[in-house]
Amino acid sequence: MNKSEILLICTSPRRKGTSAMLLERVRAAIGGKMIFLPQSGSLNELVSEMQQAETIIISGPCYINTYPAKLIELLETASFTGGFSGQKIYGIINGGMPYIHTHKHGLTCLELFADKNNLSWQGGFILGVGAMLDGKPLEKHMSRRKVVPAFDQFVRYITSGKQSPDSLYIDVQSPPGKLMTYLFSKLLSSMVVKRIKKYGYDPEAPNWYLSNR
Amino acid sequence: MTLIISDNSKGNIGMILKESFCAMGIQVAHFAADTLNIKPCVSCNSCGGKTYGRCVIPDDMQQLYPRIVRCQALVLVSPIVFGGVSYHIKKVMDRMAAVGDPRYWIKDGEIVKGMSNKELRYYMVGFGDNISEAEQTAFLCLHKENQIIMNVSGKAFICDSLADKQAINIIAREIVDE
Ligand SMILES: Cc1cc2nc3c(=O)[nH]c(=O)nc-3n(C[C@H](O)[C@H](O)[C@H](O)COP(=O)(O)O)c2cc1C
Repeated sequence: MNKSEILLICTSPRRKGTSAMLLERVRAAIGGKMIFLPQSGSLNELVSEMQQAETIIISGPCYINTYPAKLIELLETASFTGGFSGQKIYGIINGGMPYIHTHKHGLTCLELFADKNNLSWQGGFILGVGAMLDGKPLEKHMSRRKVVPAFDQFVRYITSGKQSPDSLYIDVQSPPGKLMTYLFSKLLSSMVVKRIKKYGYDPEAPNWYLSNR
Repeated sequence: MTLIISDNSKGNIGMILKESFCAMGIQVAHFAADTLNIKPCVSCNSCGGKTYGRCVIPDDMQQLYPRIVRCQALVLVSPIVFGGVSYHIKKVMDRMAAVGDPRYWIKDGEIVKGMSNKELRYYMVGFGDNISEAEQTAFLCLHKENQIIMNVSGKAFICDSLADKQAINIIAREIVDE
């Protein structure tokens, strides 16, 4: 694979977040050019880089069950411009929730984009509980023993230009059991509540927009 | 109040829906997201701390927030784009996180979040021409997942770009009757 023809696009506005960490892990293994999706201005230049690439790897956070708006803008712009010729495309999506189904739409959306625009969908990787990593290495992930080898296998599929099966990420991330679910929700809630209180707010209070306008 | 936020750049389903509600005597506010200045969420997390429950980006989303936290029904109307919503509508959805309940709850054995407007009913109307089965399924799944994570009731509808008044009336009726 010609390294100059690998394009890695990070769709998170956070440059040191989990999406960037995962993409950097791919880049470290296979090389290529890493780009952060510009948060303002034209996306035309990026679209023309996509057209020239041989392999495109998209990594982004899950916002309300799919990729952030900016990635949708990129896909809309790319689709409007057209001119793709079988580029291989892989997707990575990570989110806070420990469920595959919560994040699945992101990959589905990329696949539908690929099908409609003459790119070749090669599969993706969904990572749950990615928010807790907050950009720290994958080795710190709750399920590192299973998740690290699976993600590295995903990278090998990219390197060899092969399709990565969904079973790869599904098999290593089963939903937490009853007790874990309970503890997990309590832990996460106490973290956000602590932060809200630190700034002097009552988490139970009516929303700001209810009392101020 | 029923709040419609639509992307009219590829069709006027949002306008027709508004007329349907009005004809039924429903109080409705309608905004065209494609004509508003709405920036994407930059994940600053100010809404989760420093300015709890409030987004600090000074743009037209500030007109929508007071309505989103008050409305009984929110209807997002969007062209179906790769099995999801358009960029204009997705920006609104992402920014809605600021008025979500940041805490975690358990529903049907899974961790979920919620909305500060707990009574909200949440609808999506997707439109397009010859939308494939795969795209329709994806669109319905997106709404279902949104409903789970926001812990709200509601429904998703799919119609043709050229859907007539009658077809849209049926959707409006279903939303009102729920
Ligand atoms: C606006 C917004 C919406 C989000 N929606 C979800 C969601 O629906 N499900 C989820 O699991 N995480 C959600 N998250 C959490 C992010 O997906 C998570 O923090 C992720 O790890 C961020 O990746 P990054 O560090 O690359 O930005 C949301 C975050 C933001 C800012």
